[in-house]
Amino acid sequence: MACMNEDGQWIVLMGLLVAVGLFFLALIINQSALVGQTTAEGVLEFPKNDIRDLRAAVFDYVDRFGNADNLSSRAVRQDITAISLERKNAVVSFSAGAPQNVSGRLLRPVTIHYNNGVTEYDETVYY
Amino acid sequence: MVNEGGQLYTMEGVAAGVIMLLTAYIVVSTTSIYTTGDTHIPDMQLEQLGSDVLAMMDTRDAHGDAKSDLVTCISTTDRSGFRAAFCKYCNMRAGSDDDLKMNAYVYYRDQESNTVKSYALDEEDFTTGRENAVRVTRWVQVSGKPSNLSVGDVDSRTQAVLVEVLLWRA
Repeated sequence: MACMNEDGQWIVLMGLLVAVGLFFLALIINQSALVGQTTAEGVLEFPKNDIRDLRAAVFDYVDRFGNADNLSSRAVRQDITAISLERKNAVVSFSAGAPQNVSGRLLRPVTIHYNNGVTEYDETVYY
Repeated sequence: MVNEGGQLYTMEGVAAGVIMLLTAYIVVSTTSIYTTGDTHIPDMQLEQLGSDVLAMMDTRDAHGDAKSDLVTCISTTDRSGFRAAFCKYCNMRAGSDDDLKMNAYVYYRDQESNTVKSYALDEEDFTTGRENAVRVTRWVQVSGKPSNLSVGDVDSRTQAVLVEVLLWRA
């Protein structure tokens, strides 16, 4: 130990810094494959298209039946409820009321309920 | 009195330790190989694409049109027309066309037994079962039993049916 050569300490120190820096770069490359995963899973998880589609289906229903409650309208409501539960794992219910005067226009209040266990959506829209 | 000899060796030892730890970490974390398929990014893109295509087909061409293309396809069971339109919209991109595969099914409710049943609208593309397929759906309201249908037990009433399309990249 007494004869240890202490020359070149800076070179060794810089070498260490470069080595550590390379490891951080490797870490970044290692993580880069995951970029977008959470985003994609978030998009897949959230049933945006399902809800939009359900709204469109409900509006189709209201166009056809209004707030009528008879055999054929009840059958269509049951269609949407039953197929939603079976194929989309979503509890769905909706109803339409009598037209009301909304700012000079006669619109029906339509309530829509959607729950697939992860996302719950409730809406009352005047249509 | 602390002996100040061997500082360089100490530093070297610490550095070697740090480097070995980092190496071990990188090796261990790299053995769990992450491919892009695991990140669900292509799934998300396919699902968005398919949903958009169905939404577009379910939009009337002009204000006042009675039916959208999708409703016409379902209510007349136009298999080839559905395939042609869907694949055209799906595979369209700048330059050469894409090559996405799809099968389509229609789910309906049987009033009498109150069960959900299905028939294949278009099942031309061959599946092995190992495709990383996504499912996109669209509600369609038809005003009677779809015509040209080979299965006989669809009710002849106004009903809401669910169009399901399995979409995958071959």
